[in-house]
Amino acid sequence: MATDVLEELDFGSVSSFDVLGTKIELFTAGKGPPLLFLHGIDGLEGSAPLLRELAREFTVHAPSHPGFGASERPASMNRVDDLGYFYLDFMDLLDLRRPVVVGTSFGGWVATEILTKAPERAERLVLISPLGLRTAQRRTQHVVDIFMLSRQELNRRLQREEPPLASLPEERLRRLMRNDEALSLYGWSPYMCNPKLPDRLHRIGCPTLVAWGEEDAIIGQAYRQAFAAALPAAEIAVFPGGGHRLHADRPEQLSHRIAAFAEA
Amino acid sequence: MIIWQFSEQAYHPAFAVPGAMRVTLPQHHCDPVEAGRLLNRYLDEYLLADELGLNIMINEHHAAATCMSTSCMTTLAILARQTSRARLLALGIPLANRSNPLRVAEEIAMVDALSGGRLEVGFVKGAAYELFMSNRQPTGFMDRFWEAHDLILEALGNQGENFSWEGDHFHYRTVSMWPRPIQQPHPPIWMTASSGTSARGYAKLGYTCATFLSGTVARAVFNSYRETYAETFGRQPDQDRLAYLAVVACADDRTTAFRRAEAMKSYFTTAARLDPQFRNPLGFNPVEANVRMLKADPSAMRPRMRNGKPVPVDGSIEEYMDAGLMFVGTPDDVYEQLARFNEETGGFGNLLMMGQAGELGHEDTVDNLTLVAREVAPRLAELPEVPLDIRYEAVG
Repeated sequence: MATDVLEELDFGSVSSFDVLGTKIELFTAGKGPPLLFLHGIDGLEGSAPLLRELAREFTVHAPSHPGFGASERPASMNRVDDLGYFYLDFMDLLDLRRPVVVGTSFGGWVATEILTKAPERAERLVLISPLGLRTAQRRTQHVVDIFMLSRQELNRRLQREEPPLASLPEERLRRLMRNDEALSLYGWSPYMCNPKLPDRLHRIGCPTLVAWGEEDAIIGQAYRQAFAAALPAAEIAVFPGGGHRLHADRPEQLSHRIAAFAEA
Repeated sequence: MIIWQFSEQAYHPAFAVPGAMRVTLPQHHCDPVEAGRLLNRYLDEYLLADELGLNIMINEHHAAATCMSTSCMTTLAILARQTSRARLLALGIPLANRSNPLRVAEEIAMVDALSGGRLEVGFVKGAAYELFMSNRQPTGFMDRFWEAHDLILEALGNQGENFSWEGDHFHYRTVSMWPRPIQQPHPPIWMTASSGTSARGYAKLGYTCATFLSGTVARAVFNSYRETYAETFGRQPDQDRLAYLAVVACADDRTTAFRRAEAMKSYFTTAARLDPQFRNPLGFNPVEANVRMLKADPSAMRPRMRNGKPVPVDGSIEEYMDAGLMFVGTPDDVYEQLARFNEETGGFGNLLMMGQAGELGHEDTVDNLTLVAREVAPRLAELPEVPLDIRYEAVG
């Protein structure tokens, strides 16, 4: 699948990387200490603004998760738990021993699935607007069900402007449809969470920073408190004016904060 | 051509509520006493259909004012006992939305036994928005459909020892049908198609292929079915392998028939009332199908009139008739319209007739069914087969 359609990622290179027979799309950019970046519900392309900033400080390795973007997905892979094991293989093959791991939104969930399995594999962990914990308790929803929203309403809640889908080039549209499909595969039910995750998060021992956008219109306060309770040693940073897509809303501030946190 | 009476069994008092008629419509708009009265009325109309010599079709939807039958098999269990002659068609059971296909097989077997072997079973993909109620995984939907299908058929026709099932989606320690169905190895199977591609798949299996309210597309569906059936089995399929669903409004005079059609038209206008995000849940359609759909004209899926233009949702009765979605008039008119449509589509053996739809009241429905059964059905039964050379004219 063509990856030259990602003009917003022109500051690095996109390659195809083979993980034990599964070819995934891998974006690499910058110089400096290694950083593994795990994208969110808006795909690799959605994280371009933050990746551009991070590449000034780090060697950034940013894959598209299996099933997203132009990445293949093995037929049996259908849980974020599977992605956790997949990325451990990926890190072995790329010889990423202890990178800084940054995950945003859905990618924050992926990051926790990797590091609850192998806590020693990160120097630092940064979770930006992370999903993964229980999103609701019976009738009370703490995370908005994005599958019930119109595209218009989803864009509003993501503080995002999207051109009419029909106007997009076909390759671009295909990526978007693959992103949507993968999100549904991994996040439909139980909605955007692994109910076992809260009992595993204590295994993450590396210094951890959790970043929230004050204006996040997807994830509510009770969920953020549950995350803080599950990771009591984590630093918390709240960015005024930022939404769920902090990686697009506050790329410079967020990148500075991550760089400072990585050096501390 | 034989006729199957069908009603979606709408809770039509809710049509006056503004907004969506499915998924999001709050249930407090339903007066359960009124719902019970309406459900009993629709059942009475089905019993009348049985007395009149018509067959019966039942469907199901969920969280919808447009259809109160939430389970084909629950409704058919009543009719299995209360009717005596009609074939009883479930069209259909949304297999991939069912979490327990063994339970589906048990219900089929029970209703077939109760009815003395009069059941016919449609397995359908179902409407996309049903996923929000079943909450089954949207991706891999059809893989799950076919595994459920395979399991159900093995269960219904099993003559040997009980068996266990370890599939990709379903797991059972022991499968045993008590009762088992009278019709062996299983009741006739139906499926629904809105394109030639899906019709080809059903032709290979020899299943009855129905197309709903598809107008001119029915011709392509039926031709594809016939071609593939002939390739697979070395002979033309019988007409009874093909079915078309449409609204029929019949009366002694045209004025009354058109008045009835107007009352039934709210089926079309209310069926369309649904918030857009529920039409295509993420992951439900294959990526390539979504890309094609988004690149196509938004009206590409609308049924078309003879001039090629899409029927507006709130189109006139004449426009719906022109597109082959409604057949309206005196018994002679209805017969002539159906005979013409039959010829245009190459011929089909089953008319799935919405003899009640939308807000059409009981007396009008009784008269509609009675006229169709007494004055149209006997002539449709004698309808000559469409000659092969007409069937194979270029689709267009």
